[in-house]
Amino acid sequence: MNRYTVINPHSKFTVINTHVHNIDGIAKVTGRATYTFDVVLPGMLYGKILRSPHPHAKIKNIDYSKAMALPGVKCVATGADTIGAKQGIWRRYKDLCDEQLLTVDKVRYIGEPVAAVAAVTEEIAEKALELIDVDYEVLPGVYEPLDAIKKEAPEIHEGFERNINVTRHIEWGDVDEGFAEADYIREDWFRCGGQAHMCMETRAAVSSYTPDGKLTIYHSNQSPYYMQGLMAGVMGMREGDIRVISPYVGGGFGGKFELDGAIFATAVLSKKCMKPVKIVFTREEDFIASKRRTPMFYYTRTGVKKDGTLLCREAKVFTNGGAYTGMGATALYLTGFFHSFPYVWQKGYRYDGYRVYTNTLPSTSMRGFGAPQAMWCSEQQIEWIAADLKLDPIEMRRKNSHYEGYEVPGQATIASCGINQCYDEIRKWIDSKGKLPKGHAIGLSACGFMSGGIFNWFDTPYSFSSAVVTINQDGTVELNVGAQDIGQGSNTTMAIICAETLGCKLEDVKVHSGDTDYNPADLGAWGSRQTLMSGNAVKRACEDAKKQLLEFAYAQSGLNIIYDLDIKDRWVHSVSRPERGWPYEELVKKALRGKGGQRIMGRGYYTPYRKGMISPAYSYMLQGVEVEVDEETGKIKLCDSMTAHDCGQPINHLGLIGQLEGAFSMAAGYGYLEYMPYEDGKLMNPNLVDYHMIRAPEMPPANIAEIDTYEPEGPYGAKEAGEGLTNPTAAAIGNALFKLYGIQIKECPIRPEMVVNALKEKKAKTGK
Amino acid sequence: MSVSGPIICPVCGKKAKTGSAIDCARHMFGTGDKPHRQWVDAQGLSFIDLMIEQATTPGNRSYQLLADIIEKDAEKRQSAKK
Amino acid sequence: MEKKVLTLNVNNQDYELYINPKALLVEAIRDSIGLTGTKRGCDTVSCGACTVMVDGMAIKACSVLAMQCEGMKIVTSEGLEVDGKLAPIQKAFLDEGAFQCGFCTSGMLMSASAFIRETKGKATEMQIREGIEGNICRCTGYNSIVRAIDAVLKGKYAEGKK
Repeated sequence: MNRYTVINPHSKFTVINTHVHNIDGIAKVTGRATYTFDVVLPGMLYGKILRSPHPHAKIKNIDYSKAMALPGVKCVATGADTIGAKQGIWRRYKDLCDEQLLTVDKVRYIGEPVAAVAAVTEEIAEKALELIDVDYEVLPGVYEPLDAIKKEAPEIHEGFERNINVTRHIEWGDVDEGFAEADYIREDWFRCGGQAHMCMETRAAVSSYTPDGKLTIYHSNQSPYYMQGLMAGVMGMREGDIRVISPYVGGGFGGKFELDGAIFATAVLSKKCMKPVKIVFTREEDFIASKRRTPMFYYTRTGVKKDGTLLCREAKVFTNGGAYTGMGATALYLTGFFHSFPYVWQKGYRYDGYRVYTNTLPSTSMRGFGAPQAMWCSEQQIEWIAADLKLDPIEMRRKNSHYEGYEVPGQATIASCGINQCYDEIRKWIDSKGKLPKGHAIGLSACGFMSGGIFNWFDTPYSFSSAVVTINQDGTVELNVGAQDIGQGSNTTMAIICAETLGCKLEDVKVHSGDTDYNPADLGAWGSRQTLMSGNAVKRACEDAKKQLLEFAYAQSGLNIIYDLDIKDRWVHSVSRPERGWPYEELVKKALRGKGGQRIMGRGYYTPYRKGMISPAYSYMLQGVEVEVDEETGKIKLCDSMTAHDCGQPINHLGLIGQLEGAFSMAAGYGYLEYMPYEDGKLMNPNLVDYHMIRAPEMPPANIAEIDTYEPEGPYGAKEAGEGLTNPTAAAIGNALFKLYGIQIKECPIRPEMVVNALKEKKAKTGK
Repeated sequence: MSVSGPIICPVCGKKAKTGSAIDCARHMFGTGDKPHRQWVDAQGLSFIDLMIEQATTPGNRSYQLLADIIEKDAEKRQSAKK
Repeated sequence: MEKKVLTLNVNNQDYELYINPKALLVEAIRDSIGLTGTKRGCDTVSCGACTVMVDGMAIKACSVLAMQCEGMKIVTSEGLEVDGKLAPIQKAFLDEGAFQCGFCTSGMLMSASAFIRETKGKATEMQIREGIEGNICRCTGYNSIVRAIDAVLKGKYAEGKK
């Protein structure tokens, strides 16, 4: 059903990259796993949020007396019950902290929370919403960035002239010199749509504020530490007085590492009535009120030599930021950076990005973080240039690609890069398919992605990742990490690294995560950072613990100084004579006695230093997608795919396949299915009937050629495999259409009518 | 370039990257806070119009314009010191 | 509306419930009985997270009233294992990594179980895919789930096989 090939397999590991079960598997396949969605506390009330029907309005007055009078209603809260703090995840830049989660005086998008109710049942809370009277002064709204920057556009945030929220400029070399030298210049305008995260578990929170001034929150999120820090800011509390518990999380995909209406409203309500309060977004609420992927307008101009050498590119991008900053500032930077990937620009590169406020749902991070948009534009334009110059698209890409040791000027050093072999593998795959059936074509797309960011816009004083490992007397291991498992399998990945490093078995390791009371801080699951960063912290903690253990082994064995000991698979042994050894459990007991009864504990930390402007490491890939089109309806069918992928050293084998196949399905959705039409700030399809999610019969085989390289910064050479794979597919589908018909679709997601129209236009022009 | 030595930002005193005028212009646009905007506007340019132009036209004109102004200003400061 | 007494047989166990007659089956299972394996992911009978087996058929528990299922055998993901021994489909899911966040997994297991019952051993890949068409998974891209079902159909987890 799927072909899985490994190129350059590395040295044999005991646990790493072996076929092990996900350590949370039993809980998840037996219905035992409990999510925030399932949490019930004694005396708990159910909350509902009243949302603005207007895209832009002042709030003159809120009267909730009638709601309070409804039997069963225990509490109503509005912005007046909060400290009015404007928050944002970019804490270091106060200007960008622009969002009050229960707004005090103004609403800026349809669906923005205005009030919240807590009642004994969800039904009563919902009824109470209708009894709250809000006096709005409706203001004119603006919905597209190119309209919002006009002089006459309404001001959405005070002090942000022309509604320009953030700007980013990336430049190296001499772009204008490049254009002067170019044999061929191509410029194109593109439009990239938004996308909903569509986590199976909607936003959900249960907050319990108690008379001792402490707040306990159950919350579905990607970073308990971020929630703890941000909630401290908006509640006017100390971080340490807030406990965030993230039990099993039903998906995140970049949408759940900021505060949301559920966590904030429940906390405010709970503080007001001193009872636990639960809010779970309905699917419709999740669509209209949880931030989305950033829609973008791209202008990109590229200059090349007639032999296909890429000389220079300049890109000007507007992003539709929506009503608040969210993580949009990072998406703005990353899109511009990855729009240059994975190529060397001989003369220079220039990117100007502008994030603009509009009265629509705020845009934020979503798997790929601006790179899927960047590749939609770049990889199609590269394909069109290759066609214009009659060059082989694989070879043109290959000759311009990054290589190990390349320095992206002022931005990054590429310490490992397997993209060259990716080209070979895709070529092999295409050749193996032979002549495709009529009406089929294969489209290609290359890309790269980061393994976590070096940025500290959160302004944390902590290491980016931390881990503590403790060894019990029977050799079982407690591993405490701040890394959050949101389904990608980080618990398993950390356990694998722990078992491999320490030398115990995977089943000896218990991973503790998802609770700020018991685990060290970690920035959390975003930007594909955890395997590299949290993995490094775990590796270091285990090396620390193992070193302490081995001290006792050395003492006991009295080995000559030239021999060293190691532990593998619960066997303590001399490395040069592995048959000479003794059981790990014995050593643990002896070490415990030797330390006066104290368990061996190891600590590990990781923060990237001097790793450029973006990331310590980059993954690379080339993807081919075989597409078939129904010319009458314009409907696209995905028939087959192959992704040649370099993530350094894979750690979690099943996890890697899962990420590749899953990212493909999400990226395919971005390419041709998940359309989010807005009209005057209102989402027209906030439900799963009209928002098209890919289903099992539509998913093609996702073949994999895994190219193993070694990334020096990663644990055991590992780098990311979570987001990069979301980058190429939209462009690959577009390129398949180009290959098939020569049509150039400049907007994603590609809708059937766009294909039909393009074919009609082509027929009209060429008669074919 | 008739300015000797690296250019220091006239608003916040920071030396941007290589200390060239264009790097200082990039730094000003990148920071975009009130004091930097006010300085640019005080030189007779409109910060916001420069940004919009950079966004909507090919080329680097806005950055170049600002870089020229920064360089002239740096020259003036240098000769004032002498 | 006046509450009524209702007996539901879930995972071979009778539960006597005092319940609003308008209650959906999924509400009875999750809120009244307290079995939270079955999830909800939408309000439009679209996502399949609430799928359970009722008399061997895969049913979206948000689309039927609890009352309609009185006297029928209801099975949820908690009822697949027998005395702690995992069912073949559960073993297959573990071997293939056919889950990630796990939120769709209970519903997916039930759709898969019903499909396996119905096909009596033979199914093409496309038939398997159509068998779980009503279940959305945002994480896996479905292929690992299809592999898991295929492995069970091909007898990989039959009694007596290692």
